Amino acid sequence: MNRIVILVIEDEPEVREAIARDLQSFTGHFQVELAEDVQDARTVMDEVTTGGDRVGLALCDHLLPGERGVDYLVELNEEAATRSIRKVLITGQAGLEDTIRAVNEADLDHYVAKPWTVENLHDVVRGQLTDFVIDNEDDLLPYVSVLDGARLMAAIAERGFDR
Amino acid sequence: MALTKRPVRMSLKGKLSRPVGLVLGAIVFTLPYVVEFEGLSVAGHRIFSVFLLAIVLWVTEAIPLHATAALIILLEILLISDKALPPLPAGFEAPSFSTFFASLAHPVLMLFLGGFFLADGAAKFRLDQNMARVLLRPFGDSPTRIMLGLMLITAAFSMFMSNTATTATLMAVVLPVIATLAPEDRLRTGLALSIPVAANIGGIGTPVGTPPNAIAVGSLADAGISISFVQWMVMAVPMMVVLLLIAWYLLTRLFPARERSLQLTIHATFDKSRPAQVFYVTFAVTVALWMTEPLHGISSSIVGFLPVVILLATRVFSARDLQSVQWHVLWLVAGGIALGIGVNASGLDAWLVGLVGFESIGKALLILALASVALLLSTFISNSATANLLIPIGLSLALSDAVAATPSLVAFFIAIGASLAMALPVSTPPNAIAFSTGAVNTRDLAVTGSIIGVTGLVLYVFAAPLLWDLTGVTP
Repeated sequence: MNRIVILVIEDEPEVREAIARDLQSFTGHFQVELAEDVQDARTVMDEVTTGGDRVGLALCDHLLPGERGVDYLVELNEEAATRSIRKVLITGQAGLEDTIRAVNEADLDHYVAKPWTVENLHDVVRGQLTDFVIDNEDDLLPYVSVLDGARLMAAIAERGFDR
Repeated sequence: MALTKRPVRMSLKGKLSRPVGLVLGAIVFTLPYVVEFEGLSVAGHRIFSVFLLAIVLWVTEAIPLHATAALIILLEILLISDKALPPLPAGFEAPSFSTFFASLAHPVLMLFLGGFFLADGAAKFRLDQNMARVLLRPFGDSPTRIMLGLMLITAAFSMFMSNTATTATLMAVVLPVIATLAPEDRLRTGLALSIPVAANIGGIGTPVGTPPNAIAVGSLADAGISISFVQWMVMAVPMMVVLLLIAWYLLTRLFPARERSLQLTIHATFDKSRPAQVFYVTFAVTVALWMTEPLHGISSSIVGFLPVVILLATRVFSARDLQSVQWHVLWLVAGGIALGIGVNASGLDAWLVGLVGFESIGKALLILALASVALLLSTFISNSATANLLIPIGLSLALSDAVAATPSLVAFFIAIGASLAMALPVSTPPNAIAFSTGAVNTRDLAVTGSIIGVTGLVLYVFAAPLLWDLTGVTP
């Protein structure tokens, strides 16, 4: 089945696991893939695409070994194939300049400051995935019970028709 | 938590149905070319092919519903019009090919287009959401009364908007409430079901309520029988209200509330911009003209074109808005109308009627049978496709000397039978929406949907005619 993937890019294993745990309530409908750095993220992205799935949301740390998170988000925004991915920076150490670059050049959708709360992360992921499915999916019904149902209903009201 | 994967799609529209539908379609299409049916003309044979193909394609959805409609129009032109290939034998008065193209701009489609403009405008200026919130206020905070309010409002809206859009709009109001209820509170299910049920029932109320009604009105117009907007409402609305109240009572019994009071967000801010005001006035004038047809005599389809002209001329609707009209729904209706024209012109209808000894069936039984078949069929396939396939047959039966039932009643009851089908998630998009919330399971839907469907059928077929006699509005 064609699934939507949440890609988490975080180098510290404990933090990565914590994010994955906090996203558990989404795993019934979405697949969570973990990457430890940008290189790894590219590999995951390739696997996802070859498997017929696609990434809908990238949750990305900034300070990573090797390439920086913001640079990767800019790269995602420049490629036509990955532009529709919702981009969220989840970090404690992005300076003002990096953040500005993320907003202007990566079309950043949200900034989550560490440490985050489960509720906050949930709300952000729910909201971003709702935006993604409204923009990219024909059939919204499978997502009503897990994402922002009221907003999905409004979108369905616009495009739904009697058969 | 149970996963809402896509059970909605599984039954008839699985991956296999496409190739199976196409192959089966090709086989049934060739059948009348291979087998010669006694007493059926050459044109009749050809349209029989088209009809059989339409059944297969509309049931399996091997190609989209509206594509089947377009295919029917093309095939009819190629097979039985004055441009037919090979030409039909002399003596057969082939209809002009433009007759079939004209079904795409049939008057009833203009009526429907007007309905689309009103519905799209209501959504654009959030009139629907605001009205829903304002109208809910008087119903207070008791769960059962709120449910009644929701159902009345949903039904009223869905008389003019599509059942699907109405359901989604009202569901957006209700979902936040459902989220606050305890998981074991049955009211969750009751609320989630009340909206699609009311939308399905409300669609019966006017000719623009839902496509099957348009197909009925359009096919009747082609048979020379005109039904006005008000006439339809007089026939449909009283029983609609009764059925709505029965459905409400049933839902409150089946899904009793634990919570004593509910908090609804009822903030409403009406758009007061100039375009919005133009729209409000246009809406009111159009509906008023529809309701007063007996006074001024302007047919509802002509009135339907009025909001189209006004809203485009005042730039309240842009070219983009015009583009976003759901033309495919109109085309689906056109396909049914074109099929009816072909079936009638080719003489297939008379032949089909002569095939079975319908003299033995009484009028009432015929109507009950057709409405039941419509109910059953549209539980599984599209309501519009059901009406498209059954109304031409029903009308030819009604018009034949052997049966002589009132044609308008036959078309009316088939359309209503199709709307009453709501026992499965696949039955109608509103049901699929309710199902998607996760608050409703298949069993809840099956129990509620079949009770309401059968009750509605009995009410309409048996009680409605008595009421018409009583009030002297017999069509």
